[in-house]
Amino acid sequence: MIQLIAFYLFAVMVVGSAALTIFARNPVHSVLWLILAFFNAAGLMLLAGAEFIAMLLIIVYVGAVAVLFLFVVMMLDIDFAELRSGFARYAPLGVLLIVVLAAEMIFAVGAWSAGSLALSQRIAPTPDEIPNIQALGTLIYTRYLFIFEAAGLVLLVAMIGAIVLTHRARGGVRVQNVWQQNKRRPQDAVRNINQPVGQGVEL
Amino acid sequence: MTEWFQSLIGHGLGWFVATLILILMISLPLMLAVAMVIYGDRKIWAAMALRRGPNVVGPFGVLQSFADGLKVFLQEVIIPSAANKGLFLIAPIITFTVAQLAWAVIPFGKHMVLANINVGLLYILAISSIGVYGIIIAGWASNSKYPFYSAMRAAAQMVSYEVSIGFVLVTVVLWSGTFNLSGIVEAQRAHVFGIINGFGFNPLLFPMAVVFLISAMAETGRAPFDLTEAESELVAGYQTEYSSMVFALYWLGEYANVLLMCALNAVLFWGGWLPPIDWAPLYHIPGIVWLFIKVLAFFFVFSWVKATVPRYRYDQLMRLGWKIFLPLSLFWVFLVSGYLMITRYGV
Amino acid sequence: MIGIQHYLVVSAILFAIGVFGIFLNRKNVIIILMAIELILLSVNLNFVAFSAYLHDLVGQVFAMFVLTVAAGEAAIGLAILVIYFRGRGTIAVDDINRMKG
Repeated sequence: MIQLIAFYLFAVMVVGSAALTIFARNPVHSVLWLILAFFNAAGLMLLAGAEFIAMLLIIVYVGAVAVLFLFVVMMLDIDFAELRSGFARYAPLGVLLIVVLAAEMIFAVGAWSAGSLALSQRIAPTPDEIPNIQALGTLIYTRYLFIFEAAGLVLLVAMIGAIVLTHRARGGVRVQNVWQQNKRRPQDAVRNINQPVGQGVEL
Repeated sequence: MTEWFQSLIGHGLGWFVATLILILMISLPLMLAVAMVIYGDRKIWAAMALRRGPNVVGPFGVLQSFADGLKVFLQEVIIPSAANKGLFLIAPIITFTVAQLAWAVIPFGKHMVLANINVGLLYILAISSIGVYGIIIAGWASNSKYPFYSAMRAAAQMVSYEVSIGFVLVTVVLWSGTFNLSGIVEAQRAHVFGIINGFGFNPLLFPMAVVFLISAMAETGRAPFDLTEAESELVAGYQTEYSSMVFALYWLGEYANVLLMCALNAVLFWGGWLPPIDWAPLYHIPGIVWLFIKVLAFFFVFSWVKATVPRYRYDQLMRLGWKIFLPLSLFWVFLVSGYLMITRYGV
Repeated sequence: MIGIQHYLVVSAILFAIGVFGIFLNRKNVIIILMAIELILLSVNLNFVAFSAYLHDLVGQVFAMFVLTVAAGEAAIGLAILVIYFRGRGTIAVDDINRMKG
């Protein structure tokens, strides 16, 4: 019962906030609605028993990707009103296409009967006794090790790409060299002199 | 308790009511603790500056926080006319709520935990990654320049330090073999020489405990990393436009976060609710007392640092996070996993 | 109880909203990127739902890889957006027909 209530709550919230993501007038609001959508989708995944993926979704999307989006939206001085000009013009075609697409998919789901599933042919049956995260870890680091490393490479390429694209070498920036500062000793910088009266100091 | 309620009013509803009561049993004492801890913070700070601190309201001024609370409660909520009204009011609520959410998985005793979930540590990471939105939204919705600077600083700072915190947590998880916080506490029983409880006493993990403590200060925006509210540069940072109760929500949320980080320090590295030494008579003292002692000790460290260390510059903060902590913790993950491979799994 | 159909319907609606978002905001690259994230989210939801339905972990493993690619895509997409904005002062999609920077 509680699961059902939670499911409908999350489902309605995720659909609603997804809709508001694309309809919101202000792109900052869009990003915030997107965050809410991810949050509720994580809730749905939690209900399906995929606790690791749900937490990962929040950490990766809400913690990193959405912050990136917010940064870009807030920092770039974009005329968003101008960008929305074609809104009404594109809407009818979009609505038509989407209604057809959604109807097709929902009909397909409704008419779908799984028939006889070859459950014996599952690649990695979910073990019952060990936690989800442990089972996933065992699978990722054995059978899918190379794909996992490839995913790491994708992230590496994305990181290098993003840095190379956006990095600007600014001239005239004075950078603190901590190593040099720490290396500096009083005897290199301070000089004790016995200054006679009436003579200038030699600097 | 859950069973008792379930026998009384049915399975689902009983669970619901029992959980609700348990949530209140955590969050109400938490708020009380926050009020006292604010008083303690001011007293410690004052003592280190050779001042007296709050000493008027109640005996030794202990009721000062409640007087402050009453004051802000009676004040008017001022919303700047140029602010984005809805988001302006939601932002402190996010900070306040998120600061309490993470307490759901903190084990206070052997079975004293609200949600004993397998991914407890990931849950904490996830929750703390939401915490930054309370500040970003406040900065943006205030529609004012200093809060916005502060929001940008806060976002970059928290995201940066979350990375090294993540790696520190990986070393702990590697050693304890679980993401469950109760499991992590249990794994620390008789950890060093078979008698001392706590990962922090292990020479291989001690540097990570230090890194975690410093990162926790940066993550909560406490001095010396309080660049988000550096009064000499940014007025009051993201809180500049806030007043009365909405301001107090930030206040409560901030200290609840600090307490959470102290509790995490205690749970992850110093044995949580276990006594420091695995000796039978010490177990007669309830675990929650040990946890409180450790949390308060760490809170004292936080206040101490706040009173003594001058504020970092922003580039120094970023350097510490990315150029020192990140490589160090990454190397430590390598080191710890290598050590465990050789000793525990015999490769 | 919650069946697989429930999940499939939710993710179908989510997918449709994502595609609609691309149509609706044809000029605004940021919203288009967000719509793509929504589409990937619906795909992930499907993977997880089927993983739970079939008691097969591979769905969750694949969802993890989709997450990885989505994060990389967002980072690169936003980086391109930022340098494009630096050069042109606008992010309208219709103007991105010149390859010369």
